Amino acid sequence: MSRPKRMTKAVIVGHKSVLKRTIDSLHASNLLHIEDFIEDESGFKISKPFQNAEEVSKKLVKIRSIANYLGIERTTPAVQKTNAVLRELDAKLDKLDSDISEKIKIINKYETDLKNIEAQKKELLPFLSLNLDFDYYRGYENLKVFAGSVKENLEEGLISRVTQAYELFFDVNTKTVVLFVAKKDADKVAEVLQALEFKELRIPERGGVPSELLKETEQKEAEASRKIVSLKAEVESIRSQYTDFLLASDEVLSIENQKAELPLRIATSDNAFIIEGWVPSDKYDILINSVNDATSGRAYVTSIGIEEEEEHIPVEYNNSKSVAPMQEIMNLYSRPRYTEIDPSSIIFITFPLIYGMILGDIGYAIILGAMALAIKSLVKSDSVKPLMNILLYCQISTFIFGIIYGEFLGFPLASLHTEGETVAGLLPFWNTITLFPGISGEEFTFPVHRAHMVMTMIGVSVAVGLLHLNLGYILGFINISKHHGLKHAVLEKGSWMIIELGVLFAALGYFGVISGLTSVGVVILLLGIVMLTMGEGIKGPVELPSLMGNALSYARIIAVGLSSIYIASTINTIAFGMIWADHSKIGLVAIAAIIVFILGHALNTVLSIIAPGLHSLRLQYVEFFGKFYQGGGKKFNPFGYIRKYTEE
Amino acid sequence: MVDAGTVAVATQMIGDAGLKAIGAGIAITGTGLASGWAEKEIGSAAIGAMAENEALFGKGLILTVIPETIVIFGLVVALLIK
Repeated sequence: MSRPKRMTKAVIVGHKSVLKRTIDSLHASNLLHIEDFIEDESGFKISKPFQNAEEVSKKLVKIRSIANYLGIERTTPAVQKTNAVLRELDAKLDKLDSDISEKIKIINKYETDLKNIEAQKKELLPFLSLNLDFDYYRGYENLKVFAGSVKENLEEGLISRVTQAYELFFDVNTKTVVLFVAKKDADKVAEVLQALEFKELRIPERGGVPSELLKETEQKEAEASRKIVSLKAEVESIRSQYTDFLLASDEVLSIENQKAELPLRIATSDNAFIIEGWVPSDKYDILINSVNDATSGRAYVTSIGIEEEEEHIPVEYNNSKSVAPMQEIMNLYSRPRYTEIDPSSIIFITFPLIYGMILGDIGYAIILGAMALAIKSLVKSDSVKPLMNILLYCQISTFIFGIIYGEFLGFPLASLHTEGETVAGLLPFWNTITLFPGISGEEFTFPVHRAHMVMTMIGVSVAVGLLHLNLGYILGFINISKHHGLKHAVLEKGSWMIIELGVLFAALGYFGVISGLTSVGVVILLLGIVMLTMGEGIKGPVELPSLMGNALSYARIIAVGLSSIYIASTINTIAFGMIWADHSKIGLVAIAAIIVFILGHALNTVLSIIAPGLHSLRLQYVEFFGKFYQGGGKKFNPFGYIRKYTEE
Repeated sequence: MVDAGTVAVATQMIGDAGLKAIGAGIAITGTGLASGWAEKEIGSAAIGAMAENEALFGKGLILTVIPETIVIFGLVVALLIK
């Protein structure tokens, strides 16, 4: 159980002549979360960006657009010196820019050409089968030329019926028709053609025989394509040559840009500046020293007491390395507030615990654990690692519960021996031991045979739920008593625990476990309700049924677990049924059975991440956090940059 | 009209156990449909909100899964019937 890192409010004041040096040292230390200055009556104004800001942003835009065009990927960094990068930046960038833009221009030109060639080719194709020189199609005074395609076969008889003066070219395969007729008969011929759904084709403007023209066009096309390919290869070589430069200069310029634009976020007068911000209290001294060193003591750093509303204070987690992955789960919901308890270290235990209770299978724990380890070592991404760590924590818990449940890929490992029945297990030497009677005639055994003691397991799940909920109430109690005092804490959170106690006593008395406790229980219950009403108003009693809803919601632990067992055992039944169906020969059926087994369990493995994960997450978010957690803290985002490709 | 003989046969076929199974089935079906319906409405609204602001994923997830408790109630009832 921890709280977010303690913060100190730091104020840095100095003469404008040391502003640049102050900013440089703040950026290098990467410790101060700067509060943006909002102009008010005080007479201070935000300042202008440094002179180089415009130039830096221009270059940055250029670099990013080139990097974007080249598709630069973030590779394993080859660290370069900042000074070296800056020295070469202008010359290299100009050269790169001119090289690239020249090539892009030519590539674009060829691509346009290619499109035109494509269109020309399309025009030629219908005329290919007739192969008439295009010059023959035009330039007549008394002839009309119909060139186009029809839907059906064009019989010569159809034309000869309306005119004698004609010359017909028709290709049966493509149904292309070219028809020369006397102008005076054109209307009648047009009617005939119309009946055959004649569609006019555009005649290319160039002269020449279609087949020769096509050959020519294809040559041009190949030429253009070849040029594009060779140009792209050149671009590719530029890309590999300049990748390091682009990544490094992007980083260097981003840093310059951050620094140059900082004056927009701080208060300045004609001659002085004030920078306000938050620094982790344990690093405050480092900050003072670095600013003093950089400015030879000419900038004054001081801390001021926290008096304003605490929600402005940025929140930095304060967890050990093993708990840190859980912060991802917290961020998904909402970062804790500065004054709240940060529950990361609690869900570090409860999230995997409930996940394990749901899944509880040695086989799946081994598969998923190996998967998590493999992905963790293969994928270097910073966002994947914490998720794999969480998955790994969950599998440790799943493995432990797998032993408690005695399950392996849906098979029961131990054979079940209860009074009523005997069910064979996978391991002949392992038998269940009956520990004590469970709910509704079931027997509680070790290993816990979940499928045979559903009611008992519902009871256990709800009991775990009640523990979890009460942990939430206790945390809420701590939060409220710190903030609003003990009285409020007792009325708002303590009352719920008193109500639970009352219900418990009343139930014990009612079922005759301890006689005479019913009335005591009812009195306690009423007391709790009165306290709750005092604490939360009428809203409190209205929410009473939600306590039952929340507790019962934990029944999903066994419900989702059972569904996973049933899917697994169904796969096993089908697969082994297939193998045992045909003892005499091991053939296709056996292979099919193995495929069913592998695919089925692969599916269930995927489901085993999603279902228990989401349900466990939900129990944390809805049931547990609902009891104490507010969230909504602001992220601690210090002024600085984590360098990857460059160093000072 | 169903004659008395058919009724007798039917009653024999659907014994106590059968009726219990049907009852359990209804409990699961009804609550399952109800949760699904409610989650559909909330889920689509949550996706809409997420499109505006990705940080709402956590809240959206929570709101979407709240009605799931309904089907858990159904499950408990179904098991109690057994």
